[in-house]
Amino acid sequence: MLEQEDAFKFHFREGRRTMILSVSSSPALVSGLMVVRAKNPVHSISFPIPVFRDTAGLFLLLGLDFSAMIFPVVHIGVIAVSFLFVVMMFNIQIAEIHEEVLRYLPVSGIIGLILWWEMFFILDNETIPLLPTHRKTTPLRYTVHAGKVRSWTNLETLGNLLYTYYSDCFLVPSLILLVAMIGAIVLTMHRTTKAKRQDVFRRNALDSRRTIMRRTTE
Amino acid sequence: MSEFSPIFLYLVISPLVSLIPLGLPFLFASNSSTYPEKLSAHECGSDPSGDARSRFDIRFYPVSILFIIPDPEVTFSSPWAVPPNKIDLFGSWSMMAFLLILTIGSLYEWKRGASDRE
Repeated sequence: MLEQEDAFKFHFREGRRTMILSVSSSPALVSGLMVVRAKNPVHSISFPIPVFRDTAGLFLLLGLDFSAMIFPVVHIGVIAVSFLFVVMMFNIQIAEIHEEVLRYLPVSGIIGLILWWEMFFILDNETIPLLPTHRKTTPLRYTVHAGKVRSWTNLETLGNLLYTYYSDCFLVPSLILLVAMIGAIVLTMHRTTKAKRQDVFRRNALDSRRTIMRRTTE
Repeated sequence: MSEFSPIFLYLVISPLVSLIPLGLPFLFASNSSTYPEKLSAHECGSDPSGDARSRFDIRFYPVSILFIIPDPEVTFSSPWAVPPNKIDLFGSWSMMAFLLILTIGSLYEWKRGASDRE
């Protein structure tokens, strides 16, 4: 009796996880497709926002709460905004050209096939339906007892590993950010002489009497 | 997982809060008195002279790029601040090296005057 109840609870929990998985991953897939398919560039940069939101939901499902918190903050708050800047910089009326759909298919198709092929290495073949190796067996159900022990939180684990064992990998993003910063400045900064700049010290040093006097004497 | 249920509650509430003000006017607005001039962009009483969408200058792009930089700094410093007794001096100094590299970029930005007004 007790065992049955346990089994019911287990099934219920699994069902809820599956529900969260499908509720958050299917809008992510649809919005990801719409990023590519939307005609208006403004629409196609607003579709990443549901993608990021639903991916944060998937992180929550995996128990990565810190990543789930950081992901929308960084991606929606900053990356989407910088994409918006890019879109504002080109002419929207011209940009709404109806492009040929299948132009990029060869390249993107190859990349997609490679990713699809990699999936088979990650996933167990048993979990993929419609595969010839799929057998009618019930998968083994096991409990990870190590996960049941109250251990470190995500934040502690990250902090313990990131700054010590992976410190070299940790310094790589700072270099990438430095390159992005300097590159953006170098590419966009051309000093225009048209803009009238104000030199505060010279302006304060101006003697108004002399200027007016010169004007009047001339 | 269940400790995130308030968040899912907010996921229900926040679309409602945003969709109700958006949808309510459709119920009460009358569609008969709409004329095209009312729907056009208002330009201080004179006729609109063109599209309101215009191109931005490329000079504004560093604003968004330089806005990205503090974000990873904050993101990386929150796990750094949690276990300070477990990561020894090396761990704290690797964060300092991270900050130093970004400070070089900030100094470059400052000296080039990328964030100056023109």
